[in-house]
Amino acid sequence: MTQGPERPPADRADETDMELIARWKAGDGRAATQLVGRHSQALARFAASAGERDGIEELVQDTFVRAFGSLDSFRGESSLRTWLFTIERRLMLDRRRAERRSRETVPVAESEQVSEYGALDGLIAEEAQERVRKSLDALSPTQREVFTLRVQQGLSYKEIAEVVGSTEGAARVHYHNAIQTVKEFLKDE
Amino acid sequence: MNECMARDIQEMLPDLLHTALPADQRERVEQHLAACESCREELAVLRTVRDAAVFAPAIDAARIARQIPPYRAILPAPAPARSRVAQWLVAATAAVLIIGGGSVVMNRGSATPDKVAVAAPPTDSGASQPDRVPAPGEATVASAGSQSAQVPTFALASDVASLSDGDLVQLMNDMDDFDALPAAEPDPVIAVDSGDSL
Repeated sequence: MTQGPERPPADRADETDMELIARWKAGDGRAATQLVGRHSQALARFAASAGERDGIEELVQDTFVRAFGSLDSFRGESSLRTWLFTIERRLMLDRRRAERRSRETVPVAESEQVSEYGALDGLIAEEAQERVRKSLDALSPTQREVFTLRVQQGLSYKEIAEVVGSTEGAARVHYHNAIQTVKEFLKDE
Repeated sequence: MNECMARDIQEMLPDLLHTALPADQRERVEQHLAACESCREELAVLRTVRDAAVFAPAIDAARIARQIPPYRAILPAPAPARSRVAQWLVAATAAVLIIGGGSVVMNRGSATPDKVAVAAPPTDSGASQPDRVPAPGEATVASAGSQSAQVPTFALASDVASLSDGDLVQLMNDMDDFDALPAAEPDPVIAVDSGDSL
């Protein structure tokens, strides 16, 4: 049996994130494309759930550029996606701080701060989705982050605590309070 | 409908939704759901929230990947190179010390040739007691005493502490008259190069 010329390894969907990272470090740029493709939609959805409306793709790109620039500090103790959420959340907070500074001359009312997180207006069309949107708007910013990370992204409490910079116990409490609020809201509608 | 108190089951409902439960736990939760209307309702709420199509733009992964620079391993930063000014100062300082010190020795040599670097001859005190091994402290004191009495001068490599006041004044005067120092103070930027030990 003859062997043909050596070919680069084919992209495999079952490769772990750590294996793709190793391939990228070895100079295989396709591994970066695979990693971005694997996690970019989840990052976009998390940003939208957290209230980002404009520049979501730019935010996702910044997240990846920053993450790949410091991949040597990623030890794989958490999942890559959790780590990416953490970076993206910090970038979102930086954006909001910058936006607040840019309009510092006008005092920001509490209701306006909440509306930054409740910025899903017009993004959810159908009636059932509208009800969900309103129920999420009733949550505090932290409750909303914890709830969407748990229900929409399927993260564990440990991972959520890492993303939002809190404890596992606090994440459980936030989730419990959030689900009670959402259930009450949807029951009353 | 009664509120379910099985908190551990409720906390696993999102994992059931994302099919992230091990088989045994999944079976346990599904058995509970079969008998608990409250938890079935909560699971339906979670499913509604998960499926709510939050608008998020389609991301062009290939375009983002092209923005990522190639991997460059983090290497330890090289030690900062000593600046040219610092190198010049080191050389100038060494030249001042060597030339200045040499000229002092030569000046003193021409004025008092009998006092320059005369090694003290062995005294008779050691010869008179050849079998006696002095204690360390005793030997040091005796040696210092005999040298101060018989070798009253200094060599270039001798300890500065052994110079007399007059010798020090002469040395300072010679250093002042020496014309090898730079006319101006070095640029203050040298202060940034704090890693160098000059």
